[in-house]
Amino acid sequence: MASTSPATTNGDVAPANYDLVLKLAPHLDRHMIFPLLEFNAGRLKEDETDKAREILAAKYALLKKTNMTDYVANLYCELEGLKEPPAEYAERRQKVFHQLEKYEQETAKITELLQRDDVVNNLRSDKVANLEFLKKEHDVTIDMVNALYDFGQLQYSCGNYADASELLYRFRVLSTDNDKVSYATWGRLACEILTMNWESAMEELQKVRESIDTRLANNPLAQLQHRTELVHWALFPLFNYDKAREPLLDLFFNAGFINTIQANSPWILRYLTVAVITNRGRAKNAGVHQKQMKDVVRIVKQEAYEYQDPITRFVHALCIDFDFEEAQQQLVLAEEVLRSDFFLLAHADDFVDSARHLIFESYCKIHARISLKDLSARLGLNNDDAEKWIVNLIRDTRLDAKIDYKEGTVVMNHPPSSVYQQVIERTKGGFFRTQVLTAAVAR
Amino acid sequence: MSRFFRDGGDSSTDSSSEEEEVYTSEEEEEKVQAEDESSSEEESDEEESDEESSSDEESSSDEEEGTKKKGASRFLQSDDESEEEEEEQSDDEATTKVKSAKDKRFDELESTISQIQNGQKINDWSLIANEFDKLNRQVVKLQDGSKAPKSYIKAIADLEDFMNETLAKQKVTPKKMNATNARGLNAVKQRIRKNNKEYQAQIDAYRKDADAFMESDDEVAAPKVVSKVRFEAPVVSAEQQEEDDKGFSTVDSRGKVVQYTPESILKHLRAIIESRGKKNTDRLEQIKVMETLNKVVPITPYQKIRVLQTLISARFDLGAGGAAQMPLDQWKAAERDLASLLEILEKEKDHVVVEGAEEWDDDDKLPTIPEGEKYLKVPGSVVSLIERLDDELTRSLQAIDPHTSEYIDRLTDEGSLYNTIFRGLLYYEHLRKDASLEVPQESLSRIIQRRLDHVYYKPSLLIIFFQPAQVVKILEENAWKQVSAEADSEITPRSQSGDAGKLINILSNYLFENSEGIIRARAMLCQIYFLALHDEYYKSRDLMLTSHLQETIANFDIATQILYNRTLVQVGLCAFRKGLVYDAQNTLQEICGSGRQKELLAQGVMIQRYSQVTPEQERLEKQRQLPFHMHINLELLECVYLTCSMLLEIPLLAQTGSSPDVKKRIISKTYRRMLEYHERQIFTGPPENTRDHVMQASKALAAGEWKKATDFIHSIKIWDLMPNTEGIKTMLAKQIQEEGLRTYLFTYAPFYDTLAIATLSSMFELDSRKVSAVVSKMISHEELAAALDQVTETVIFRKGVELSRLQSLALTLSDKASSLIETNERTLEQKTQGSANAFSRKDNRGGGQRGGGQRGGRGGARTGGNPQRQAGGTQFTGGALGNAVRG
Repeated sequence: MASTSPATTNGDVAPANYDLVLKLAPHLDRHMIFPLLEFNAGRLKEDETDKAREILAAKYALLKKTNMTDYVANLYCELEGLKEPPAEYAERRQKVFHQLEKYEQETAKITELLQRDDVVNNLRSDKVANLEFLKKEHDVTIDMVNALYDFGQLQYSCGNYADASELLYRFRVLSTDNDKVSYATWGRLACEILTMNWESAMEELQKVRESIDTRLANNPLAQLQHRTELVHWALFPLFNYDKAREPLLDLFFNAGFINTIQANSPWILRYLTVAVITNRGRAKNAGVHQKQMKDVVRIVKQEAYEYQDPITRFVHALCIDFDFEEAQQQLVLAEEVLRSDFFLLAHADDFVDSARHLIFESYCKIHARISLKDLSARLGLNNDDAEKWIVNLIRDTRLDAKIDYKEGTVVMNHPPSSVYQQVIERTKGGFFRTQVLTAAVAR
Repeated sequence: MSRFFRDGGDSSTDSSSEEEEVYTSEEEEEKVQAEDESSSEEESDEEESDEESSSDEESSSDEEEGTKKKGASRFLQSDDESEEEEEEQSDDEATTKVKSAKDKRFDELESTISQIQNGQKINDWSLIANEFDKLNRQVVKLQDGSKAPKSYIKAIADLEDFMNETLAKQKVTPKKMNATNARGLNAVKQRIRKNNKEYQAQIDAYRKDADAFMESDDEVAAPKVVSKVRFEAPVVSAEQQEEDDKGFSTVDSRGKVVQYTPESILKHLRAIIESRGKKNTDRLEQIKVMETLNKVVPITPYQKIRVLQTLISARFDLGAGGAAQMPLDQWKAAERDLASLLEILEKEKDHVVVEGAEEWDDDDKLPTIPEGEKYLKVPGSVVSLIERLDDELTRSLQAIDPHTSEYIDRLTDEGSLYNTIFRGLLYYEHLRKDASLEVPQESLSRIIQRRLDHVYYKPSLLIIFFQPAQVVKILEENAWKQVSAEADSEITPRSQSGDAGKLINILSNYLFENSEGIIRARAMLCQIYFLALHDEYYKSRDLMLTSHLQETIANFDIATQILYNRTLVQVGLCAFRKGLVYDAQNTLQEICGSGRQKELLAQGVMIQRYSQVTPEQERLEKQRQLPFHMHINLELLECVYLTCSMLLEIPLLAQTGSSPDVKKRIISKTYRRMLEYHERQIFTGPPENTRDHVMQASKALAAGEWKKATDFIHSIKIWDLMPNTEGIKTMLAKQIQEEGLRTYLFTYAPFYDTLAIATLSSMFELDSRKVSAVVSKMISHEELAAALDQVTETVIFRKGVELSRLQSLALTLSDKASSLIETNERTLEQKTQGSANAFSRKDNRGGGQRGGGQRGGRGGARTGGNPQRQAGGTQFTGGALGNAVRG
């Protein structure tokens, strides 16, 4: 996994400094790094042939060890400028085919068995009993089950992710070897991610998480490493599958995982921050979002010495230093970074919009009167747009503010909440809750 | 403190020579005074028990005592050397005749004996008990030069007889003795039995024929002292020594000629080993014998190793008694011997010293390498010897006044010690290479730990030279010079040794991977300490946090706990140098807030007022003390701690000061107490010490006079001890400016409607952007009931946020009511194991509709900690109000 070439940085001056591919790569599978490289290659301009070549070399180095021989051969030709791939690739290809055939034969029986209804119906939830049953009735040996695993691995290495996933699934049903089962779960997760089958990917992710929490409870170091990997892998569904967003954010904010991020991979903060900020409109529960936001601010502050990029700096400037000018500057930079990030590209606009809301919100909270002109500059909009934007905002969020057009200002009204109101609010639920309580005690 | 003490001692030494004349002229009256002395005996007894606890104080207190008592007892108690020195001095000065020290002692002895006889006459056992103790002490000193004096033997024999008589009488007569007398009798009874056994032979001789014994010549009497193996007088022994050197023959105390031959060498050794630890063995004598053995005889490596091992242990035994540290020359000799032992071991690769090897039966023939084995295994432990050597150095450093040049002289020995440790390390690495030897990992870890202990606290950066790794580098370079060129350490390769940081890193990582328990924890702490010392705050903090030591440290031994405290303090200081006031205060709180810094850092013994400390505890405490060169400057520590506390506490005080109902949150109790004390003073003069400076700065800061505060803080002299003093001062000035602004706003907000940012900015000489950032922060955290007006660049303070007493009470009441409900809910939930889901109403509750209810869902972990934020403009609760809510 760690064999990626160091030459993956790309050309643009500013965002290049914040390119995380190098940091992410060690924690991803080589098959997953590939799309990242592809993305970087796609962003190159015509004249940057050197860079393109570097990326090509990186790709080659990356895939050399896989069994996707055809593609590797092509890459090699492209890299060396040859027409025909050297003979060794053909050889390797043959070898791979042989292996495939061999495994296919070995697993043919068990595959066939598992497709028969009468067999499948006899399977229970008890794995040991299942294996006994298959042994007795159908002469299935443990080697055959393990062959499923090896075959799955080979398929994966050849790039047949869907097949691999299926094989590993079958293996997992039958195998009693806990270690291999957990490897298989990781393998399936990779397959599902690579086939962009997000729903089942989320299922697998949950399984992996459980196994990390339970099986590795006695080995903190392994737990840390596995969590780091899982966090990295989870980035794929996080930004590609909307429904995954909330459960994954929950996962990230889980104490174990947030510690992992802080300790082992602070660069994930960028993704976490973006995910939380863009989530603001969508979150079902405003309270949860606020809590997450607070957590992000806290962690950004804590980790400022270890990791900084325009996105975290934006948060730092806005929520910790209350330096709105700085926040504005960082937002511009952040947008650039976002547009050059594989995961975040699609969310750039969303982020900028949410970030503006954020700025405006805290700005209004602090100020009693704001000049419209200044505000529009701060939001990065022209005067008319800004006015429209603010009007919409006031309408949407029921913000207590008015625009004084003559003066060109927005006037906030911060009514101090009266003491009576506070007392009433605090004691409001008391009666009901006590009733529930007595009811519960009576039962 | 120690210096204080020491000064007193020194001056008394000076004066003692002047008093010398007085003594000599008073010599004739000595007898008379001796009687006075018995009356003061009780007093001196008490003092003597003190003396035993610390050898270092002994001489000084002796001398003080001497002055007090006009001389007489002074001579009794001062030890040999000073005595003789003074003798010489007085020879020069005084004209009157002078008795030799020994003679004086004899006189003393005689007077004590006559006291005992008096006591016997009047049957006063408490007097006898006292005198008997004194007698025994005196006789020990006399024995150093010769055998037990005959008058002493006579006295104890007579005393025993008398005692037996009294005991017999006791049985017959019904009349009881009074309490003190009975106690004295018992004490004497117990002691005399034990004591007389030692001199049984002499006593027997005396009993047989009292007169003959008394008259018999010294030379005849001496051999009868069976268990005492002693040279008669220093002069004689020196002569003998010379003889030894010439003729390779020596005479033992019985007058037999002893021939040291290669064959008999191990026999001698065995005899010595057997007598080790027994009472009344003369260790010095044994050492001499072994030195000769080592020097003289052309022996096999095996013999050499054995002799050296025993010799080194014997030298250590000299320092074993109680609090006395090893004599300097013996330490040096032990160090040399250890070095030569290591040299032999390095040369003779087929001889190894391992723990748990079987003893050789070497009386008859020399052991040879057994068939089929590569090594001749000699039982022993090099690492223990090295550890012992290290400990002895520490002990002697503890005892020496750190402000003398003697201390520095002694400290230079650390270099050679480090070399020894290093060679030992190499040796163990060499042993470890061969798996068949099964050298336990622990030995290697122990020796590495020792090495680490010697480097971790040394600053590698001496600012003046701008040369990194100064001290450690020198140590390392010397160590490498010592070993031969081809030797290289696997764990710490030669190429890495120049850089202290790398070295520490390698050593502690090695220990962390290869050891467990205390050594592992210590390695970790040493690394953290080193990092903190070199301004790597974040690294050290992260290491500290990941080590999880704060949870387990209570289970470790005290030395490790001390190291932990030291590390903690160092991390705190490092945070301060980085300008992280909050972190620094937090970290230092535990140590400095306790008021027991000295004790926690093992840099001085606390005088405990209310608790009884047994002498045993006190002795242990003293043993734990760190040598001076490892100390962390306590005054600097206090200064840092107080300054940090000031920066945090003063704004807090200003914030909470106005509303009386707010429960006072206190960051540092120590600081508060000092501040209160300071405020109670009617007149305050100009600041004298660090504390005064900080207190006056606090006062100024509270009044908004940040410039004055800065001046006070800057005039503290101890900052100069910090590296980069100017940087620290600038940092502090900046912090004071900001906190001053905050304090000002808190204090004076009620008196303003609006305040221009520009005014504030000129007042505190801060950037207007900075000012608005600070104000924004305060508004956002709801510390200040205000809002900014962007157009006019002013702060608008809201009015009417001050609560009446009734109102705030109502708020508190409602708070308490809701927390009561929550507690009830939680209790029930626990009881029903969460099965009753009746209260998890989180889902059927609308987002922000009910602010109060929201807390219940979260289990009420923070009751009212954060006022709920609802959509729209109701987020604002005023500053004071916000705090009231926080309760």
